[in-house]
Amino acid sequence: MKRNVLVVGIVVIVLGMLSLAGWANWQNRKQAAAALRAQQSQAILVPASNDDPAHMSSPLVGKKAPGFTLTNLKGQKVSLADYKGKAVQLNFWATWCAPCKIETPWLIDLEKQYAPKGFEILAVSFDDLDKDDPKLLAKDKAEIVHGADALHIGYPVLIDGDSISKAYGDVEVFPTSFFVDRSGTIVAATMGLTSKDDLEGNIRKALGEGN
Amino acid sequence: MYRVALGSALALSIALAANAQAGNPFGDLKSHASSSKSTAVTYLFPEQVTVPADKPSAVDLHFNIASGLHINSHFPHTDDLIPTTLKLPEDSGVRLARANFPDGVDFALPVNPKEKLSVYTGEFTVHAELVAARGEHLVEATLRYQACDNNACMPPHSIPVVIDVIGK
Repeated sequence: MKRNVLVVGIVVIVLGMLSLAGWANWQNRKQAAAALRAQQSQAILVPASNDDPAHMSSPLVGKKAPGFTLTNLKGQKVSLADYKGKAVQLNFWATWCAPCKIETPWLIDLEKQYAPKGFEILAVSFDDLDKDDPKLLAKDKAEIVHGADALHIGYPVLIDGDSISKAYGDVEVFPTSFFVDRSGTIVAATMGLTSKDDLEGNIRKALGEGN
Repeated sequence: MYRVALGSALALSIALAANAQAGNPFGDLKSHASSSKSTAVTYLFPEQVTVPADKPSAVDLHFNIASGLHINSHFPHTDDLIPTTLKLPEDSGVRLARANFPDGVDFALPVNPKEKLSVYTGEFTVHAELVAARGEHLVEATLRYQACDNNACMPPHSIPVVIDVIGK
């Protein structure tokens, strides 16, 4: 009798422990799910930044634009230094970037309008390049050419933007533009699609016409 | 417009720039980005499935897209947009016989309402058909996607989809 009671007692304790472990496990999973949700909620658009002037500029503004040499779609080397004395907009874009396609016609218009004053746009493509495989590399380049043609881009398109990304602060949002004045200083920067008016204001700033 | 765009771009960075590094040109974006480890897309479940060995078996893979963002569907409307795709490593003991992606939802950027994109937002499910050899296989599949918000895009990105597949 005593032995039966002991066995039943042990079974009850074991079952209790198992239940406790199950409950603890469920709690852990619940907490993990809540943590995941909380983590994801951090990705919600944050309006607080909109009124903070700190977000409207860049630490690179006021500094010399980092120099670079890239290749254009014709295979020719192009350096930022080649544009000394001109106002330049470095427009970081990619063929897969839908907002860039909206911005490009504005840029084409603005480039035509301000070119006589000494303004140039350099489009820097961030499309992936399979550098280790000549066939794939040729295909990648052809796709960039196709993308630029489809958008009727007349200004120079440079490839391999990734190679200068670090110098410009690890650009990871497209479109991004840096506006460089005639002395080679970055006077404005934009990240994401703004408006034609904003772009024009920054171009005028680079030309020394605006604030 | 400028403020909206910057705010939106900022949020995109917060959402996606888990690997943001010092020297970010956009000021204190860095501090926000470094506080967030989230990516645009998160794999939800299942973590483990048991399927009949050597037979095609349906497995639904569930994903979540961070609020405020969208990714191209598996069938974008134009060739230049990067579709969402799923791949399994070849030598994992599990083969992806088929992956049925949901249809995308038509979406237009506010500034260009006429041009429709085919995108996923929120949660979406890929109906996969797996063929597993007998035994247990820890499979690290890859979901590749390209995310944007209303004003800016991030480069294409891949996330691991880790599933313990047991073929019985």
